[in-house]
Amino acid sequence: MLIPISWLKEYVEIKLPLKDLMWKMTEAGLTCETAKKVGGEVIMDVEVTANRPDWMSILGVAREVAAIQGLKVKEPKIGNMPSQTANFPIDLMPDYRLFERWTGIVIKGISIAPSPEWLKERIVSMGHTPINNVIDITNYVMYELGIPMHAFDYDEIYGQVMNLQLSAGGEKFTSVDGIEYTLPKDAMIIKDAERLIDLAGIKGGLNSGIKETTKNIFLHVTIDNPVFVRRTSLAMGLRSDASAVYERGPDKGGTLKSLTRAVNLILDLAGGEVASKLIDLKEKDYEPTKMMLGFDKLEKILGIKIPDSDTVRILSSLNLSPKAVKTGVRCVIPTYRGDLKIEEDLTEEVARLYGYNRFPATMPEGRVSDEKIPYFFDDTLILTIKSLLVSCGYSEAKNLSLISKDLIEKFGLNPAKHFRIENPVSTEYEYMRTTLIPGLVAAVKINSADNLKLFEVDKVYLKSAKGADERYRVAGIYTAGSFRDFKTAIDLFSSRLNIDGYSVEFETDKPYLHASNAGSIKAAGSVIGEFGEVDPMVLGSLEIRGKVYCFEFDLDSLAGLSKFKTFSAIPINPAQVEDLTLTFPPKTKIGEVLKLITGASKLIADAELKDTYEDSYTFRIWYQDPEKTLTNEETGKLRKIVLEAVRSKFGGIPKD
Amino acid sequence: MQEELINLRNEAIAQISGSKDSGELEELRAAYLGRNGKFTLLVKKIKDVPADQRKTFGITLNESKVAIENLISDKKQALLKSLSEKRDWFDLTMPGFKPSLGHLHPLTQVLSEVNKIFNYLGYQVADGPEIETDYYNFEALNIPKDHPSRDTQMTFYVDTKGTGLKPLETILRTQTSAMQGRVMKLGKPPFRVLVPGRNFRYEQVDASHGFEFWQVEGFVVDENIHLTDLFGTIKYVLGELFGKEVKTRFATTNFPFVEPGVDTYLECTICKGKGCSFCKGTGWSEIMPAGMIHPNVLKMAGIDTKKWNGFAFAIGLSRIVNLRYQIKDLRTLTTPDMRILSQF
Repeated sequence: MLIPISWLKEYVEIKLPLKDLMWKMTEAGLTCETAKKVGGEVIMDVEVTANRPDWMSILGVAREVAAIQGLKVKEPKIGNMPSQTANFPIDLMPDYRLFERWTGIVIKGISIAPSPEWLKERIVSMGHTPINNVIDITNYVMYELGIPMHAFDYDEIYGQVMNLQLSAGGEKFTSVDGIEYTLPKDAMIIKDAERLIDLAGIKGGLNSGIKETTKNIFLHVTIDNPVFVRRTSLAMGLRSDASAVYERGPDKGGTLKSLTRAVNLILDLAGGEVASKLIDLKEKDYEPTKMMLGFDKLEKILGIKIPDSDTVRILSSLNLSPKAVKTGVRCVIPTYRGDLKIEEDLTEEVARLYGYNRFPATMPEGRVSDEKIPYFFDDTLILTIKSLLVSCGYSEAKNLSLISKDLIEKFGLNPAKHFRIENPVSTEYEYMRTTLIPGLVAAVKINSADNLKLFEVDKVYLKSAKGADERYRVAGIYTAGSFRDFKTAIDLFSSRLNIDGYSVEFETDKPYLHASNAGSIKAAGSVIGEFGEVDPMVLGSLEIRGKVYCFEFDLDSLAGLSKFKTFSAIPINPAQVEDLTLTFPPKTKIGEVLKLITGASKLIADAELKDTYEDSYTFRIWYQDPEKTLTNEETGKLRKIVLEAVRSKFGGIPKD
Repeated sequence: MQEELINLRNEAIAQISGSKDSGELEELRAAYLGRNGKFTLLVKKIKDVPADQRKTFGITLNESKVAIENLISDKKQALLKSLSEKRDWFDLTMPGFKPSLGHLHPLTQVLSEVNKIFNYLGYQVADGPEIETDYYNFEALNIPKDHPSRDTQMTFYVDTKGTGLKPLETILRTQTSAMQGRVMKLGKPPFRVLVPGRNFRYEQVDASHGFEFWQVEGFVVDENIHLTDLFGTIKYVLGELFGKEVKTRFATTNFPFVEPGVDTYLECTICKGKGCSFCKGTGWSEIMPAGMIHPNVLKMAGIDTKKWNGFAFAIGLSRIVNLRYQIKDLRTLTTPDMRILSQF
């Protein structure tokens, strides 16, 4: 909302320097961050929150500026409604669900002409182009007092009847500015005996609009249902100054004042005489309401005792007619303050004008609950995994959750298994990811490094029987080349997280993984993740050259399997360490061999693969008895057990 | 024998004096004075010495052992001293080997700090759905359908065909505040809750807007919660995040789920309040909307408003990261480029 300072000054004196005033307005909730100089005029730009229709007017802003400075506002001189000199019939068919109030009057014998300079300047300063005296006046009074109004060419209202109703949908409507629209269903419209003449709350119709030849007008001020206005304006993508006011629900008590103001200005600037009775259709009277603000409640919510006299002074500056009684203040809420509904609303009024920045800072007293809250989230495992991966050289990426159908299809996945957004910002971001891998693989393209290691820990969104299954995953990609180096991180998941029964399966159902160079990890009978080479066809479709390894694990599965470790005391007796080099037939699963060696005897404390060369593999083995130092003879027996097991199970033989 | 002893002593003195390092010295000590050392063996031979010479021999042997012991320790000191006083050219500027360490994302780093600050204040972390219902995202927060404040949170709707979810009611959450209703409905006050997470709003992407962004929602419900507690908590948290000297100021605002409503401005950490492109020339950055929880929100969650009240706030996590690291383009955070990631 634009606020020209010279216009504002008609209703309130400005004592504070502009910059201070702007901050005080912002502090009080009428956010004002910029003021521009346009010609000789300074125009403030204020952001009006959804609860304050009254601030959608110069007078409303003036009231606030007056309250901030402790001044009185000078109300504009409205005058009385001029008396009727003729009787032009007009028949309004109300529907109070649509117009809660409908106030109007007919004026005859006006002369349409350009507005005088002062009025033109006002319209220009609000960012609009002056049209003619009558239209400019309706806009002027809307800006001044905050309720939209509209002038019809009386002679274009066929049958002198106005039927307020909801559209059926599909109707053609041409607005005053000559644009043709097809109306959605349930737009509020006014029809005369034959035609659709108004899109209520949003725009007037061309057919009934004011023309240079217009002599008689019907002028009305209405309170339109905010929901219908909002739905129609969203459906049509059509916002107007009027719709912005109606959505907030303007002053139901103010229509008569606005109409009177406009009629007097029209008679003044365009001539004419009042030619009908004043029509004021409403279901009930809209009167100021009473509300009590308790001193105890005020203190309890705010945390400090504001002196009662300050409370009264502040409420009075807001025209809430406060009357202090023993336990609080009785207020009278003007009809333009429809936002003040409950006692808490009044506490905000006191607090914001007292000044938020005058309050002390305290910390909450009270209990810290010893019960876990619903949806409690423990991120310990996530942090452990992240630090493991960082120490393996992986850097953490954050990708968007929304991806394109194209990317899904390039990874051989079925878009139908992904949640789709009905109204995406673009097709690039239309589907919700079901795996973290595509985003990470796509990152290979934007990185020039040939030894890229990236990981991500975040949610994927799966369709499930109960609707949506959002699961945390950890995934990584690796382009540095060596499979064993890539495998390090995966092995760490089992050793550092202490997961039992962790086995590699040579199968995976992931279409984006290589047919043979990829598989899955099983633990406790179920698959908890996949790893291996990304299918070269997938990489080709993304124009990525070279090999990319990837892995992805389900975090909840890891969390469920990860166990506390048990400490083993440092053995008193030293271990006997030896290296055994063995050769194996092709396709031997060396991981399984290592497991076999480690498990061959209780006296084998550990074993690792130390080196590989062609078909030979060197294992380092730690023989250890917690009770004593093993003799060479005993170690020899253990070696025999190992060699026999490896030979019979895998056909491995010692290399001499 | 006496002669043999003298020769041995001379030999030992010569070797010790000529030794080059402490390792060699230790070997010499073992060779002469150890369990099977040459002097030790001589002690065993003392009975072979003629009785009249035995005393002299014994004295000489002991003196020799002491002398050699002293010589070794003097020599050791001398060797250490010469090492210590050695002055060779040594290049201290030689770089170390580059570690193969990765980098944590700045969002993770800042979120860890935020979590730690709030854990200290007794908050528990909750995690909730991003595919959310209109009810929890809006209605339970006192934002009925068709409320104009929905304009600032344009919403993505999920295609629910074949999912069993309700069309038009199933959306991507626009605010982590959606968790207020969920936690309060299932749990029992008092609450101190922190909800970090990803949100979605229909926005065209540019340097300062993204359709995915991160927020941390926090709320407290207890028997005696005041507006001043909210101010105190915000000041404490921003002080922990940006340093105690950071300037904050509060303004009134309106969100349907709070009353009174508060907006928090942080003095721009980049220009120190002078006004720059980052803070759009205002010198202040809007960082933490907040307020006292609206009684309607508590009532809808089944909380007795006669007994309980509370406050809530939302921290723009993406924005805090940007302020912390002086990042001007929001898209930086979701671009997995090592030239970006390796800076953190």
